Amino acid sequence: MSAARIEEATLRRIVMVASPLAVLLAWQVLSAARVFPPEVLVSPQAVLAAFGQLTASGELARHLGESLQRLLWGFSIGSGAGLLFGLAAALSPTFARLFDPLFQALRQVPVLAFIPLLILLFGIDEVFKIVIIAKAAFFPTALSTLDGVRGVPRAWFEVARIYRTPLPSLVWRVLIPATVPSVLSGVRLSLTRAWLVLVAAELIVADSGIGQMMEMGRQMFRLDVVMVGVVVCGVIGFALDRGFVLLQARLLRWRAQPAGAEA
Amino acid sequence: MNIDSRAAVRTPEQPALRSGALQLKEVRKRFLFDQRELTVLTGLNLDVRPGEFLSIVGPSGCGKSTLLRLIASLDDDYEGHIALDGRRVAGTSLERGLVFQDHRLFPWMTLEQNVAFALIRRDMSAAARDRLVREHIALVGLSGFEQAYPHQLSGGMSQRAAIARALVNEPKVLLLDEPFGALDALTRVHLQTELQRIWMSQGSTMIMITHDVDEALYLGDRVAVMQAHPGRIAHIVDVDLPHPRDRAAPLLHRLKDDILAELTATDAPRGEAVVPLTRRRPG
Ligand SMILES: Nc1ncnc2c1ncn2[C@@H]1O[C@H](COP(=O)(O)OP(=O)(O)O)[C@@H](O)[C@H]1O
Ligand SMILES: [Mg+2]
Repeated sequence: MSAARIEEATLRRIVMVASPLAVLLAWQVLSAARVFPPEVLVSPQAVLAAFGQLTASGELARHLGESLQRLLWGFSIGSGAGLLFGLAAALSPTFARLFDPLFQALRQVPVLAFIPLLILLFGIDEVFKIVIIAKAAFFPTALSTLDGVRGVPRAWFEVARIYRTPLPSLVWRVLIPATVPSVLSGVRLSLTRAWLVLVAAELIVADSGIGQMMEMGRQMFRLDVVMVGVVVCGVIGFALDRGFVLLQARLLRWRAQPAGAEA
Repeated sequence: MNIDSRAAVRTPEQPALRSGALQLKEVRKRFLFDQRELTVLTGLNLDVRPGEFLSIVGPSGCGKSTLLRLIASLDDDYEGHIALDGRRVAGTSLERGLVFQDHRLFPWMTLEQNVAFALIRRDMSAAARDRLVREHIALVGLSGFEQAYPHQLSGGMSQRAAIARALVNEPKVLLLDEPFGALDALTRVHLQTELQRIWMSQGSTMIMITHDVDEALYLGDRVAVMQAHPGRIAHIVDVDLPHPRDRAAPLLHRLKDDILAELTATDAPRGEAVVPLTRRRPG
C-alpha cells in the first residue's frame, strides 16, 4: 500500500514535468527544422547561452531586482489598502454604501487602461509603476476581505457571547482567524495580478526591470533575450505563487485540507 | 471520580442546599416574520429544581431551541419572566452554559484552546486555568487530545469537547440543545452514559432538548413534553428511578410508549394531554 502511494507520487511528479518538457521538445524540433527563421524562433541553446551571458554580466540580476522591489512596494500598498477597505466596507454599512458604486465601476476597468492617465499624472517614474501595481493588487484582496468578514457565521458570535468575550478578544481570536482563509486566497490572487501587471507595465514604460529588458531585446532584435525574459517571468511568477501557497498552508494548519492543495 | 458517593449527594431530599433553580413564568415569544407575527412560545411555565436533569421532547419547530436561547439570553426579546435562583436573567452569563447541536468548536483553536476560551472572562492564574481545562478535558474522556484541532476529532469527540467547554465555568445551569442529534446511534448511547456520569459528578442543573424519547427518559429526572402551534409544555412526566440507570428498566419502556403515543397523535387542543400521565402543573 505504501509502495503504491510512493509510485503514485512519482507518477504525479512525472506528469507535472511532462507538459513543460513536451513544449521544450517541440521548440527544439521546430527550431532545428528551421520552420521559422532562426532569428525569430531562437533555439533553446541560444536562449540558454543568452541566459548565461545576462547572468554573468549581472544584467539579469539588476533587472530582476528592480522588478521585485517594485512588486514588493506595489503589492504591499495595494493589498494593504484592499484589506483596510474590505474591513471598513464589511463593518460599516455607510462606508459600503458610499464607496460601492465607485468600487464596482473601477473594478471593471482593466489596469492597463489607466496607463495613459497615470503617465500624465505621475510621469514614467517609479511612482507610476507602483500605483499601477497597487491598483491591480487592491481589488482581489478588498473583495475577499469583504466577503470573508461578511461571511463569518453568526454561530461564532453566539459562542463568543455565551462566554462574554470582550471586544478585543472577539476581534483577535474569533473575527480575524475566521476571516484569514478568505483574505489569504484574495491576497494570493493579488500577488499574481501584481506580477502580471508589473511585467506588462515595464514592457510599455520603464528604464529598468525584467519587462524593460525584454522590450530592449525586442528593439535590438535579440529574441534570445526576449525568450530569457519570458522564461524568467514564468518561473518567478510560479515561485511567488508556490511560496505563498506554502505560507498559506502554514498559517492555516488548523484546516483539514492544506490551503491551495488544489492548485 | 467516585460515582456512588456523588450519586448519594444528589438525592432529591436535599435540593434546597444547592443553587441552580430556574423559574419560567408565563413566557411568551413572538417573532416578526414576513411582516407577520408568529407566536412561537406561549403561556410557558416551568420550575426546574436545583441540580435536576430535565429533558424536553417535542415535535420539531415547536420552539425548543427558542426556549433555550431565551434561557441563555441569546435572545432577550420575550414577554414573561425567567429567573435563576430568584434573579431575573439579563444578558448571557457564565452561570448559564449552552451546548449547541453542532459543536461550534473554533476550528482554528486546539481542543485545549477551545476549552480555555470559555474562561476568557475569568480572572485566574494561568496555572489555575490550565488545571481547570485539563480537569474538564479529562472529565469528558479526551485526555491526550489536548493539542488536536477539531477537524482531527470525530463527531462524538467534538461533542464531548463542546460539553467540556460548557462545563469548565461550572455553570449553575447547563442547557443542551440536541447535543447528540447528529451522532450515530452507537456513539449516542455511549455519550448518554457519559453525560449521566458527568451530571452525577457535577453540581449543574441540566436541561436537555432531544428528539430521542429513550434518551430523554434515560437521563431525565423529569421529561417535559412540548406541543407546537403555539409551542407550550403539554405536561411533565416524572421518571422515578435513581441514577445511574438501567436502560432496560420496565418503567422507562412504559413511559416511552406513553410519550410516543402523545407525540405521534395529531395536535391536541391546547393544554389537553392525549394520554393522561402523572400530570403536574408546572409551578
Ligand atoms: N429568528 C427567527 N425568526 C423567525 N422565526 C423563527 C426564528 N427562529 C425560530 N423561528 C421559528 O420558530 C419556530 C420554533 O423554532 P425552534 O425553536 O428552532 O424549534 P425547535 O428547536 O423546537 O425545532 C419555528 O417555526 C421557526 O421557524
Ligand atoms: Mg431546535
